[in-house]
This record gives sequence, C-alpha cells and structure tokens, in this order.
Amino acid sequence: MSADLVLAGRGRRLVATLIDVLLVPALAIFIMLVTGVLEHAADWSATARPMLRIFALGVVSYLILNIWLLWKRGQTVGKAMMGIAIVSTKSGVRAAFWRLTIRALFFPTLYLIVWPWAAAFPLIDQLLIFGRRRRCGHDYVCGTSVIRRG
Amino acid sequence: MRRITLAAVAIAALCGHANATVCAGTTPGLAKFYSDAWGIDPSSTRFQPAERTSITAANVGRLRLKWVYGLSTDAPRSYPLVTEDTIFIGDSGNGLVALDRQSGCTRWTFKHEGSIGSAILHEGKNGSTTLFFTDRTEGIFALNARDGTLRWKRAPPGDNPVPLLSGTPLIHDGTMFVPLSSFEVGLAANPFYGCCTTSGGMAAIKTSNGDGLWYRRTIPTLPQVTGRHYWFVQNQAPSGAPAWAAPTFDAKRGLLYFGTGQNYSRPTTTTSDSIFALDASDGSIRWRHQFTSGDAYNTSCDLSERHPNCPKPMGPDLDFGAPPILAHTLDGRELLLAGEKSGAVYALNPDDGSVVWTHRAGRGGALGGVHWGMAVNEALGLLFVPVSDIVAGHLTGKGEARPGLFALDLASGALRWSHLRTARCSDRTCSPGFSAAIVAGPDLVFAGSLDGKLEAIDARSGKLLWSYDSWKDYPSTVSGKPAKGGAFDAHGPMLAGDQLIVSSGYGSFYQRGGNALLVFELSGNKTP
Repeated sequence: MSADLVLAGRGRRLVATLIDVLLVPALAIFIMLVTGVLEHAADWSATARPMLRIFALGVVSYLILNIWLLWKRGQTVGKAMMGIAIVSTKSGVRAAFWRLTIRALFFPTLYLIVWPWAAAFPLIDQLLIFGRRRRCGHDYVCGTSVIRRG
Repeated sequence: MRRITLAAVAIAALCGHANATVCAGTTPGLAKFYSDAWGIDPSSTRFQPAERTSITAANVGRLRLKWVYGLSTDAPRSYPLVTEDTIFIGDSGNGLVALDRQSGCTRWTFKHEGSIGSAILHEGKNGSTTLFFTDRTEGIFALNARDGTLRWKRAPPGDNPVPLLSGTPLIHDGTMFVPLSSFEVGLAANPFYGCCTTSGGMAAIKTSNGDGLWYRRTIPTLPQVTGRHYWFVQNQAPSGAPAWAAPTFDAKRGLLYFGTGQNYSRPTTTTSDSIFALDASDGSIRWRHQFTSGDAYNTSCDLSERHPNCPKPMGPDLDFGAPPILAHTLDGRELLLAGEKSGAVYALNPDDGSVVWTHRAGRGGALGGVHWGMAVNEALGLLFVPVSDIVAGHLTGKGEARPGLFALDLASGALRWSHLRTARCSDRTCSPGFSAAIVAGPDLVFAGSLDGKLEAIDARSGKLLWSYDSWKDYPSTVSGKPAKGGAFDAHGPMLAGDQLIVSSGYGSFYQRGGNALLVFELSGNKTP
C-alpha cells in the first residue's frame, strides 16, 4: 500500500459502522411504512413468508443507501460521513466493485453459519482490527484496507 | 473396546443424545378410553366417575410417582388421552407419542416438529380408531391410533390469515368443532402493524377427511379503517373476540357453547367476552350473552399504554379462557357454568343464556381469576372453581388476591368451602394460585398450582388430602431426556384408572418452565 495513505482510525471505523447499522433499518422501516408491505395480517401468514420480506427490506435498504457510493467511491454512507474509504491494499486505489460486494456480504454471511461452535467467527473477524495493519478478517479476505480520505 | 465405548459416550454427550425406552412393535390397546374430550366429556365437566378412576379420598395417600417422561418443551400444552394400556400425548418438538402406561416405553412416535397444543381426541369407526390433535399454527392432524401413521391433515379452517389453534376441538358423531383464535393479539405489539382485522370463530369439519361443513365468525362485520398512525399505518376494527378454549356440546338441545375473549381494537363489539350458543348443525347463533363490554386490549399495551396499537382506553382483558360446563343440579335443573378471568362465575340458563346466579371467587386479572378450567361433581351438587389471581401487571384485578380452590353450590352459587393457598416465596414464580384446569373424581379434586405443587383436595370439605412438590430435577426419565418440574398450568391433571398423569412446567408468562410428564399410580393396585 502507498506510504502516503493513512489508515483510518478504529474509532472512525466504529462510528461509520454504527451509522450504517442505524440507517439501514431506519430506511427499511420507512419503506415498510410507505408500501405497507408488512402492515396487514395477511402479510404475516406463513404463505406470505414474512421473514423473507423483512430480509428483503434490509437488503433493499442497504443497497439503496450504499450501492452508489460503494460503486463510485468505495464508501458506504457511514464511511462517507466519517471521511474514510475502502481501497485495494495492493494498489492503494478504489477496490474493484466485485471485491467491495464480497466485502459487504462477508460479515452478514458469517452470521448465517449455523453451527454453534462457529459463533466466534464474527468476533474473530472484528478483533483482527486491533492488529498493526488495522484490518478486519473481511479486509484480509477481500484484499482491502480502510483509509482516511481528506 | 474401552476406547470405542468412551468415544461413543463422548459423541453422545456432545450431541445431546438421549435414548428413549422403546417398545416399538407393540400395538396400543384401544378398547377403553378414559376421556372423550378436553373436558373429559362433551359437557366439559372435568369429572371422572368411579368407572374411570379408582383414586379416592380414602386411598389417595397411596399415590406414588411411577415414572417420568422428559418432554421436549419447557411449556407443554398437550393433554393426554389414556387407554387401558397406553398414554397418547403431544411432545412438542418431537411429535405425538404413544407411551406404555406401566413402563413409559414408547410404542410409536408420530414425528412432528411443531407445537402440539391440544388434548388428544379419538374416534372409532368401522373397527378402526383415529386420533386427532392440533398444531397451534399448522392445523389439524388425524392419525391411525394403531401405528401413528398420518391419515389426513389440514390447515386451520376459516378466513383468518394468522390463525391460532389454542382450544381443543370437540368431536360429535363424525363432526369436529374447531375453536379459532388469532396471533394478531401478538402481532399488534409491532407499532408498524395496522391493528387489527381478524375475528375469532368456530368451524365444523368432517372427521373422515377434514372437509369443512360450516364456519362462524364471532364478529360478523368486516373490519374498516378507523384512522391512521405514523401517517401511513391504518388502524382497523372491529377485531378479536377469539375462541380460546374447547367448546361444550349439548346433545339434548343440539347446541355448541363456547366463550370468547376481548376485542383487539376499538370500536368494540357486542360479541367479545361472551358466551355463545350455536346450532351445531349449521353454526347459526341461537343466543349469546356478553359479560364485559368495551374490553379492547392487545399485547402492545404490555409494552406501553401509549403504544399506537394499544386501544384507548385499554380494556381489562377479561376473556373466557375456560370452557363452559353443562351440568345438572341435585334437583335436575340444567345450568351452563362459565368462569371468567375476572374471577366471576356465572350460571346460565342453557335455553336462552339468562343469568341464574353469579359468584365472584377471586379478584381476577388478565391471567385469571378463572383461567383454564373448572370442574363439577353433580352427585355432590358442587362446582369447583380454581382461582389464579396472579399479579398481571397493570391488568391485575382490584382487591385482595384469593388464590385457591372454591366449592360452590351448583343450584345457588353459595360458597360451600374454600381452600386458600399461600405463597412459598415472594418471587413471581411462587404465585400460589390455581391457573391450570382441574379434574374431579368421585370424592376429591386434583389441582396443580403455579408454584409447582400438585394437590388432592377433599370434595366435601376442602381439606388437603395429599400434596406433591414437583419443583425438582428428574435426571432419570423413560425418554432419556432429563426433566425439570415447574409451574402447573394449562390443561392440568388427568385421572385414568389408578393413575394420575400431569405435565409439570409452563414457561409462559414469566412462570417457571419445565418438561416433566409425571405419572403417579396407587401403590399396591392393578390398573383396572
């Protein structure tokens, strides 16, 4: 990675993540309110698959909030607000979109692993940020780093 | 070899493996059944005559715990069906099991992962016996009693998209009457949900194949939009009036009686917190009587009375959670006896629903008062009223709690005796009340308390005859699954021959959960 790039601080990354975590359900609720997609008894019947609807609302909200920024600038809304961005560790420039997509899906996917003994995976993924290179597990997998963008 | 054994033990421990005692290949005896309905009989008397139980006040002291079956849930909701040699019971998460009465070994299991929430019913036709049970959400199941194979299953009848099968159906002459309640009472806790549109109901289906015969909503009018909150979410009404409990059948009049719960939203209806009498042939309403008007409540109110879905004003949630009992007084009059969560008991004229007498047994509240079921002994002219009076937050009734059992004169409603209970500790799980349904024998009554004690009470005097404390661990069980005792609630005890069968543990409403199916037997006796 280029020497003139400054790694983002752990605090900024945490706040950016919290912003994203709050914005996604907030938008999902807004979409739910406007469309009424989970407002009536029929929407909660087994055949209507309410859990799938909730999951879809979350995915759609995440994509609405983040896809443009991720695509164009390698940032989520939270990261843009905190002045940090995701770059390729190797080149120091915006990572390829496919890498960003895998990176975005990596962490939620860890929670889909159902074996009880795998519950530590998400924790390990996050704890790696306390290493010298400040990279989480998903950064290593996708070849990315998070830097300050002034 | 030793290494292999140790490895097997380790694998079993890691997998939580448990071996049930199995007597597969043995066929259940189906010549004698000890009950015909949730209420033991279609009149819902919860009374076992001497032909069906040999346990009496004189010998109850000889009851001993015979075996324990570790159930797969900590809130068991199934009531057993007993034959001369077999106990059929729902083991939620595992399925319906047929257990040998003497050893507890499993004759067969109908595998089913859902929540079995009913008594097990039976019907014999053309030399073949069918068992029936309901899953709380999935519907109605019919099995071959000999081997537990599926005969048919169907979704809950009616027009409710989120139905809840809470009360046990009742079978009469090839027809099954199915009480219907609704999950909407819980969905309303979501502030973005447009509360509420569903109605309670009663349906009749054929026992031969599950086909529908008729369906009666307890709220005939369809819901309308009554307002909005958060700009977009539509408030709707009327709704609610669910049928929580089993119905009662009156063969003489051809009527089906059942109680309803509160409305979920306002405006309310005249059909909530009511007793209904339907014509069993077509579901038409012969009469109905409302006992609490203007009662609108749903679980959003438990979060906050300012919740957008909490009806304003919030009602007291005073359902009829227990089936009405059709009984004869000593002078031959017929009465329909209805116990309400308010703690009030009403005796009605079964011809028109007019009130003959009223008695207030407890202070009541959202969890009773009278919660799951009363019992009668017609020969003694007594109605036995279990009272919970557990603290139910802001829905606790007013006045002093009177947890215990009360005997009322059937003809007049006058109090004959009371058996009041005191708490064993101050924790909520130590509530001393009788919330579970009770069962009466010829000269005694069995009741299980919320604080885990099973008691036999003299029917004539109210004197405590026998008590068993189920608050303990049962590490060794016939199912191979360790069991724990807890609160007695829901369906309560069953008497069959020289055995007393009851599930201990009910982890709902912050009570002490448990999974122990306890089978007691008179020592030194043979099962009749």
